[in-house]
Amino acid sequence: MILIKCPYCGERDQSEFANGGEAHVIRPKNPESLSDKDWGEYVFYRNNPKGIFYERWVHSHGCKKWFNAIRNTSTDQILKVYKVSEKRPDLSEFKNTLKSPSGEPPVGSGNFSVKK
Amino acid sequence: MSAINNKCEYISKNQIKITFDGKTYSAFEGDTIASALLRNNIRLVGRSFKYHRPRGIYTCGIEEPNALVQIISEHNEPNTRATIKRIYDGMEITSQNRWPSLRYDFGAINNILSPIFSAGFYYKTFMGPKGFWKNLYEPLIRRSAGLGKPPKNFRSKSTHQYHNSDIVIIGAGLSGLAAAKKFINTKYKVLLIEQDSYLGGVLKNSNKVKTINGLTPQEWISETEELILNSKNITILKNTLVTTYNFTNHLIALEDKFAGKKIDLNKSELTLHKIRTSNTIITNGHIERFISFRNNDLPGVMLASSFEKYIHRYGVVPEKEPVIFTNNSSSLSLLKKLISLGCKPKAYVDSRKKDNIETEIKKILKDKEIPFFSDAEIEGCDGNKKVETITIRQGKSFNKLKSSMLCVSGGYNPDIHLFTQSKGLVKWDKNILSFKPDTPFQKTITLGSTSGNYNFKKLCDEINEKLSIFKTKKVSLDINLNVPNKFSIKELWETKKKNNSNWSKSFIDLHNDVTTKDLKQAITEGFDRIEHLKRYTTNSMGTDQGKISSINSLAIVSKILKKEISEVGTTTYRPPYAPLSFAAIAGRSTYEFYDPERKTSIHSWHLKNNAVFEDVGQWKRPWYFKASENETMHQAVQRESKMLRENAGILDGSTLGKIEIKGRDALEFMNLMYTNAFSKMKPMTSRYAMMLGEDGMIKDDGIICKISDQHFIATTTSSGAPKVLADMEEYLQTEWPHLQVYLNSITEQFSTFNISGPKTREIMMKVFPDIDFSNDAFPFMTFKNFDYKETKIRIMRASFTGELGYEIYIPPKFGLELWEEIFSCGKEFNLIPYGTETMHLLRAEKGYIVIGQETDGTVTPIDLNYNWMIGKNKKDFIGKRSLSRPDTSREDRKQLVGLSPINKKDIIEEGQHIVELNELPKKIKNPIKYLGHVSSGYHSPNLNHSIGLAMIRGGKNLLGQKFFVTATGKTKNIPVEIVNPVFIDPENKRLTS
Repeated sequence: MILIKCPYCGERDQSEFANGGEAHVIRPKNPESLSDKDWGEYVFYRNNPKGIFYERWVHSHGCKKWFNAIRNTSTDQILKVYKVSEKRPDLSEFKNTLKSPSGEPPVGSGNFSVKK
Repeated sequence: MSAINNKCEYISKNQIKITFDGKTYSAFEGDTIASALLRNNIRLVGRSFKYHRPRGIYTCGIEEPNALVQIISEHNEPNTRATIKRIYDGMEITSQNRWPSLRYDFGAINNILSPIFSAGFYYKTFMGPKGFWKNLYEPLIRRSAGLGKPPKNFRSKSTHQYHNSDIVIIGAGLSGLAAAKKFINTKYKVLLIEQDSYLGGVLKNSNKVKTINGLTPQEWISETEELILNSKNITILKNTLVTTYNFTNHLIALEDKFAGKKIDLNKSELTLHKIRTSNTIITNGHIERFISFRNNDLPGVMLASSFEKYIHRYGVVPEKEPVIFTNNSSSLSLLKKLISLGCKPKAYVDSRKKDNIETEIKKILKDKEIPFFSDAEIEGCDGNKKVETITIRQGKSFNKLKSSMLCVSGGYNPDIHLFTQSKGLVKWDKNILSFKPDTPFQKTITLGSTSGNYNFKKLCDEINEKLSIFKTKKVSLDINLNVPNKFSIKELWETKKKNNSNWSKSFIDLHNDVTTKDLKQAITEGFDRIEHLKRYTTNSMGTDQGKISSINSLAIVSKILKKEISEVGTTTYRPPYAPLSFAAIAGRSTYEFYDPERKTSIHSWHLKNNAVFEDVGQWKRPWYFKASENETMHQAVQRESKMLRENAGILDGSTLGKIEIKGRDALEFMNLMYTNAFSKMKPMTSRYAMMLGEDGMIKDDGIICKISDQHFIATTTSSGAPKVLADMEEYLQTEWPHLQVYLNSITEQFSTFNISGPKTREIMMKVFPDIDFSNDAFPFMTFKNFDYKETKIRIMRASFTGELGYEIYIPPKFGLELWEEIFSCGKEFNLIPYGTETMHLLRAEKGYIVIGQETDGTVTPIDLNYNWMIGKNKKDFIGKRSLSRPDTSREDRKQLVGLSPINKKDIIEEGQHIVELNELPKKIKNPIKYLGHVSSGYHSPNLNHSIGLAMIRGGKNLLGQKFFVTATGKTKNIPVEIVNPVFIDPENKRLTS
C-alpha cells in the first residue's frame, strides 16, 4: 500500500486512486489518416518496463482529477507527480540506479540468492 | 516425571478452571493454554498434519509449530497457538486433527504408510483415473489431512484504527524499551508496539541479565514503563502483533482486545491498526531454532530457551530432570536456573569440543556431578507418545538414558521476518550462523538481537549510534550479566541416524510434517532451487512459516548442494508474520455492510406487492411480481409479458444511470463520445445511442436527450453508470481539456417510470389530463417538461418493449405518490407492474439488445446490424477508426440473428452452442465446428413458442438457413431456423402508433 501525492489534494493512500496505464500516449488528432498498423499501436500497445515508468493515475475516490506520475515499477517508489497540463519531465533527471528490493537483475525475475 | 510449580511474579495467585478435551484442569490467571497444560503434566496436545504423529508443546511463543488447539468457547476458533493464547475461567479447548481421540488416533496409520507420503506425494499419486480426484481423493484428503475445524455461526466484531506517527518501535523488550527511552519527551510521535500483555521481552525469559543501571531487570522495566507513560509523545500498544510491513512504511498490527479475558460478544474483539510512519525501529528479538534428529518431534522435546521461559514467565518447571542438548553457549542460564531450583539435569550434551565450552559450564557440571557429554550429539529419542529413552552419541559410543524431556538449542536466528517484508536485504553472519539484516530498503532500523547483535554490552553503543539520526539525548545502559557475554556456537543442523525404521523420522518442518529425507529426495528429483524446493516439499509453508526451522533447512540444502548458505539464499518472506483472522481484515465491512444496497423511491411499494428482487450492480430491482403465493417465476413472467402487450405495464426504471452534460462545447463532446450524430438533432428530441471503446467494441448504450446544443442528458445502463461517467471525465481531462463541458451524475435526482402497452395513452391522459399525448403533439422520441403539482416532471416518449410507451422523470420525493396515482388511474385499463425479467423477454421479442448479454466486449455496432447508429459523416468519435480495422470488417464475425425453433415445442436455452450437427457424438474426439452461441433465450407468450437471439459467425448472410442448438444433458440437438431478430412488429407500427 503505497502513498501517492495527488497534485491537487496532497498525500493520500493508494486505495483512493486508480491506475490509468502508460502516460503521454496521445490520442491521434486524425485517426482516419492513420494506417491500420499505426492505429493498432495506439489502441493496443503499451510499454510495461521494469524500472522507471511514466504513468497516469486518477484520484477516483477523491477529487477525480487525472494526473501523471513517474514510478519505479520494481521498487514502487513514486519519483514525481505532475499535472496533465505539465510538460513530461526528462528521464535523465532520474537515473535508473535504484536496485529492485530483492536485488534481482533488471530483466525478468525469479529465484536469485540474496545479494548486495 | 512431573512439573513443579515455582514462584512467579507475572502469574496471579487466582486459580481458574479450563477444560481440555472435556476434562477440567486448574491453572492460574495469566497462564497461557500451554503453561496451564504443562502445569497439569499434559504433554500430548495434538496430532500432526500429515502423519498424525503425537505432538506436544515445542516452544513458548508465536513460533509454535505443534501445539495448535481449537477454542470451543470462542466461535470454535481453530488453529490457536496454545503457547500464546492466555486462558480465562471456563475456557473450553479441544485438540485437533485426531479421530476418535487424541490418544487413539486412526489417522496415525499414515505414519506407517509414510513411504508413499513423501515429497511431492499429492502431485505424483492422485493423477488418475479421471473423476477420481473430485469424487474420491479430494474428499478423502480433506478429511484426513489438515488442522482444526472451521468455526460455525461465526460473527466476530472487529474495528480498524489508523495511525500516523514519526517512529514505530516494534517489540518492547530490552532494546525496544531502551530505544523508546531515548524518545521520551521529544518532538517525535512514537508508537511502541508489544505483542505480549506486558513489557520486558527477553528480560523476562531468563535470568541472563543481573542488573541494568544498578536496578534489577523488573525494576528497570517498571521504571522505564512509568517514564514512557508519563511522556506525552509515546503511545504503548500491548497485546498487539505487527503482522505486515508494506511499502512506504505502512504497517499492519493486530490487537487482541480480550487477551486473557472471556469475549464480550457485544464488543469488538480485535482491532486492526493501520499505521503509517516515517521511521520503523524493529526490535522484535530472536527466535531459537531446533536441531533435526531421529524423532525430534516426540512430545517431551522442547526448545531449551522455551523451557527456561516457562520457568521465568509462568513459574512452571515442566520437568525436574531433563536432558539438555545444545550447540551453543546460551544454555548455561538454563542450567544455572535448574540448579538454583534444586533440579538436576539428567545429562548435558554439547556438540562443541570440550576446549571450546565455557569453563563455568564445565565447573557446574563437575560440581553437581551431572553427566557431561562434550563433542557429542543426540542420535535420537524413543517412546510411546512421549520421550522415554534418549540416545547420545559421543564419538563411536552410544549412551542410552531414561528421561521424559529433552531441551534442545540449535542457536538463535535474528527475527528478520518483518525486515525482509520491508524488502531489506539480509546477509549471512558466520559468527552467529544465521542471516541478519544488512541493507534496509525503507527507513528501517534494527536493534539488538534482531540486528544480529547478541552482545548485551554492545547494545548501548549500537542504540546511540543507529539512532543518532534523530535529535535525542544519549542513553546509558550499564548491564551486568549472570552469564558470560560472549556467544559461541558450533554448526550443527542434523545428527546422524544409527538405523532406519519407518516410524522413526527426523523432521525439518514439524508443522507440515516435512522430514530431512524429503529435502534430500526433492533435490534428487531436481528441485534444487530453494523456492521450488519449498513448494514441492511444503517445507516452512505451515502457519508457523518455519520460524524455528527454515534456516536449518537452508543449511541442510546447502550441504547437499555443496554450496554456501548465502548462495542458496532465503525464500521470500511474505506477510503476515503470523496468521491473522479474516474477521480482523474485514473489520466492519461484513454482512449488510459489505456492499451497500441501493433502493429506489418505490421500494416499499414493491415489497408490499410481492416483488422478487434482482441485484443489478448495487441496486435492488424488482425481478418479477408474484400474483399469488404459488406462482412460479416462469408463470409470472409469461403473465406479465402477455398482459403488457394486451393492456399496459409499468416498470420502475429509476436505477438507469443519468448523466447531465452541460457547457459551451457539449455538442462537440457528445459527437466525440457517442457513435451517433447529434448536430442535426432538434432540441427536445431524444435518440438511442451507443458508446464504443477505442477498439470499436460496444461499451454502453442509452437514450440521449438533447435540450440544446449546450445541454444534454444521457441515460446509461444501470450498472454501467459510474464507468460511463468516469470515461467521459477521463477524455475531458486528458484528451480534450480545451472543451468546456461539465458533467454531473443525476441518477438519484430522478425517479423514472417506464410505462408501455397499447392502453398507455389512455392511462397517461387520465393521470395528466392537461397534457396532449396525441401522436402529432407528442411524437415518438421527443420529450417535454411539465409542472406537476408542486414539482416539475419530464415525460419522454420512448419504449424498450416495442409497444407505445412513455418515460416519466420526477424527483424521488414525489415518486411514490405519482406511482400510486398512475396505478389508481390504470386500474380500469388492467395496468400491471412488471419486473426486469419481463422487460428482458419483451425487448428480446422486439430484437433489442442488452449490453452484457448480446455484447461481451467483442461486439461492434456493425455486428448488431446497427449501422444506422454510426455517424459516418462525423470526422471522428471514439472507436470510429477501429470499425474499419481488418478484424472488425471481417465477413465471418459473429453477428446478431434471431432463432426460431422448427419444432415449436422445443426450448432454446441461453448460452447454448450453435452447431451443424443434429446430434452430438457420444464420445467427442475431435472439436466440433462451432458457429456461435445463444445470447438470449425465452419462451414468448405472444408468439407461443421459444425464441432466441444469437451471435453467429457470418450470421447476416445465413437468414433462412437451418442449424442446430445444443441442449442441456442431451446429445440430440434442437433444429432452428435463422430469422430476423425482430419477432414482433418489425415495421414499428406499435411503437409509433
